[in-house]
Amino acid sequence: MNQPHNESSVSHRGSMTLRPCTLVWLALVGLTLAMLVVGKMGLSGGNVVALLLVATLIKTQLVADIFMGLRQSRLLWRMIVTVYLVGVIGLIGLAWWLGNV
Amino acid sequence: MQQTTALTAGKEDYPPGDFVIWIVIYAELLAFGIFFLSYAFARSQNVELFNASQLELNRTAGAINTLVLITSSYFVVRSIAAIRENLQKQAARWMWAAIGLGSIFIVIKLFEFYTKYDEGITLSSNTFYMFYLSMTFFHFMHVILGLVILTIMATKIRHGDYTAQEHDGMETGANYWHMVDLVWIILFPLVYVIR
Repeated sequence: MNQPHNESSVSHRGSMTLRPCTLVWLALVGLTLAMLVVGKMGLSGGNVVALLLVATLIKTQLVADIFMGLRQSRLLWRMIVTVYLVGVIGLIGLAWWLGNV
Repeated sequence: MQQTTALTAGKEDYPPGDFVIWIVIYAELLAFGIFFLSYAFARSQNVELFNASQLELNRTAGAINTLVLITSSYFVVRSIAAIRENLQKQAARWMWAAIGLGSIFIVIKLFEFYTKYDEGITLSSNTFYMFYLSMTFFHFMHVILGLVILTIMATKIRHGDYTAQEHDGMETGANYWHMVDLVWIILFPLVYVIR
């Protein structure tokens, strides 16, 4: 027997309301396009990198929480991924800072 | 793994899918994390080389591949949502659409690899390309494995092997695919954008 899984355990047929997973997909697309613009413009600097890393953290946490269904699981399972994401993305930021100061 | 009753506040004991896949996912994330941090700290020792080499990458291709993987992941979520309502045909359609997008990722990535090969770039060209080629190829292999898993799932949906009551296998395969997506979401800004 499967556990209920986020928003998709609820029928949305006939509803005009967007599913949470659709909202997350739209957010992911928007943040990716913003990153492309930053890349195309060749923007750099501490503030730009910080924004890019925060956007990456938000995107990955959304995938983990909503797409992978960790939001519906006990905190431990969610925290493993969150600690990993904050740790890796934070250290990427530290490495950038070390190389650019 | 059979899911049991929630312990606290409606939360489930285990994440969706087979428990073993989560061990695999955490191990894979650890491996990719080591890659990412090795790249980031190697870059900090040679910023000019990394910035100059990064300019030679096709950022548009990288961004399109990000959109392709994100959308493919979304389609897999929709496929599972459909199977929860016992809509097998709809679930199969979403899954095949996800496979189609995953295949587009493969084509774009092969184009990128071919372009670099044609320019005479190899693993030994410089440190940036050593990381770029090894990380993206490592990820590429995961995409191929993911596509095999999704194809098996799509076939099983067609055969009626998944139902609203029993689709643990689908959750398992889906989460592997989402992991592949999650890793690329970090890889794209790290290698293509941040400078």
